Amino acid sequence: MIEFAKVTKQYGEKKAVDSLDLSLEKGYITMLIGPSGCGKTTTLKMINRLVEPDSGDITINGTSIWDLDPVTHRRAIGYVIQEVGLFPHYSVYDNIALLPRLHQWKEDRIRNRVYELLDLVTLDETYADTYPLQLSGGERQRVGLARALAADPEVLLMDEPFGAIDPINRLVLQESFLEIQEEIRKTIVFVTHDINEAIKLGDRIVVLNQGSLVQHDEVAEILDNPADEFVEELLGHDRNLKALSLKRVRRYLASRDDYTVVSPEDTPEIIMKMLKAKKRRMAYIVDSREIFRGVWVIDRNPRKKTEKLVKVERPVYAETSTSVTEALSRMLEAGEKELPVVRKGRIFAGLVKLGSIFEEVEEARAASEEA
Amino acid sequence: MMDALVTYVQTHGEVIVTAFRIHFVLFLVSMILSTLLGLSMSIFITSEGREKVGQALLTVTGAAQAVPSIAVVALAFLFVGIGAKPAIIALVLYSLVPIVFNATSGILSVPPRVVEAARGLGLTKSQILWKVKIPLAVPVILSGIRSAAAINIGTVTIAAVIGGGGLGDLIYSGLKNQKLELIIVGAGLSAFMAICVDTILGMVEKKITPRGLQVTR
Repeated sequence: MIEFAKVTKQYGEKKAVDSLDLSLEKGYITMLIGPSGCGKTTTLKMINRLVEPDSGDITINGTSIWDLDPVTHRRAIGYVIQEVGLFPHYSVYDNIALLPRLHQWKEDRIRNRVYELLDLVTLDETYADTYPLQLSGGERQRVGLARALAADPEVLLMDEPFGAIDPINRLVLQESFLEIQEEIRKTIVFVTHDINEAIKLGDRIVVLNQGSLVQHDEVAEILDNPADEFVEELLGHDRNLKALSLKRVRRYLASRDDYTVVSPEDTPEIIMKMLKAKKRRMAYIVDSREIFRGVWVIDRNPRKKTEKLVKVERPVYAETSTSVTEALSRMLEAGEKELPVVRKGRIFAGLVKLGSIFEEVEEARAASEEA
Repeated sequence: MMDALVTYVQTHGEVIVTAFRIHFVLFLVSMILSTLLGLSMSIFITSEGREKVGQALLTVTGAAQAVPSIAVVALAFLFVGIGAKPAIIALVLYSLVPIVFNATSGILSVPPRVVEAARGLGLTKSQILWKVKIPLAVPVILSGIRSAAAINIGTVTIAAVIGGGGLGDLIYSGLKNQKLELIIVGAGLSAFMAICVDTILGMVEKKITPRGLQVTR
């Protein structure tokens, strides 16, 4: 989809990018990583011609960037940067509406698009009339993403978008970024200097050093077979455990027969009977629209030897895109041996069990030791 | 003293009104010219690739603010002669300094991240200027125009020495003939004009500063 052919960019004596050949696939997140000065940002900015290559060619869907007018070309590509660069004098609405307006869309179509995007980045409608200076860093980043997606570009370029956000909010943003990508399936090129971020978000990783390509592979492949010592060092010593954070819980869902699902109308008596029959402690409440509504738990009092059914409306859960390590830490935190899993919109997807995760951890640990 | 003042105002009403009117016209014409000229200069020197020229001009205009107004008026006299025209030229030049200084520093201080985002999203150079840089620089540009206006009105009184006319005529003839009442009327009305103009510009500034720049969390 995006092809670099012998691309070179020189600043003075220094070659920022040196005869780079690279081919990026459609619909995937490709992470560009390397030490500072490795040419990752230059590589990214050459795609939308914010930086003009000195020689070589870049083609997008077979069309050379030299054959396109830079302004038209940039309007067809989404662009998100660190600290966002939202326009402070524009409201959130006007920031997102900017590109559709440049494309001269009708005002109703723009309005629908703005609200659709706010919903996508999980900001409610009241944000439309606020101004960037009134938002937190994380909220600005969400608006920045919405703005970049406004004209529905095929390609999205992201230059350390979460770099300036504190670690806790960064985790939240990364999770929702993955959920959003699951929905939009754009071709994303993402620059980062954080290997954990690259592993967490990327489908593929491109490792650059001194303007040259060191390795370009799927994330799992890079973790399993680093090309050389440089990549190995970049990955750190715990790369096998890191690989765990790549695996998503959707691959570990328990079989439907291993847990009990009830509807919100079922009475506690019926549920108690169902659980007793299967010798289980929990029943998952799912309504007619498949939305996850909570859990019934049998609460045993060992001293009085009584049992009663308790409804937990807001139980801990995981999303299908949650990583295995994250699901594990949620289970440990909640003191449970299983965790309900939902899709976007809280649609019930199934259950993940501690046992199946432990097996995975054990395998990874064993592999780590061998290495 | 009070009596002399009242008598003067009563007997010379027409002279005073004319002087006030001429003063205001000199101010208005020179302000409009120097605002247009100053903004165009700032836009020109801040456009892409000329950042260095911009910085240099910022230093020059910053220093030029220290030149006394009487010197500028004297220079205009030397090169253009006597009358309203040289007076306006001197006023335009003298008000140019704060306008160019503020507009240039305002445009240059727009965060580079914002400009880069605008470029990356596909705004043309002129869209970046008119939709991003200028609106963000508006508060700084306007405060430059405001201080230029205040300085300008004061300088109009000095321009009277080269035949510009206006309230300066009253002040000078008061000085020559040792008539305090003329000086008071001339200086008082000039100060009054400056205060009115500043108040109006203050309201304009509030009005056209983008709302997004006036909010806080």
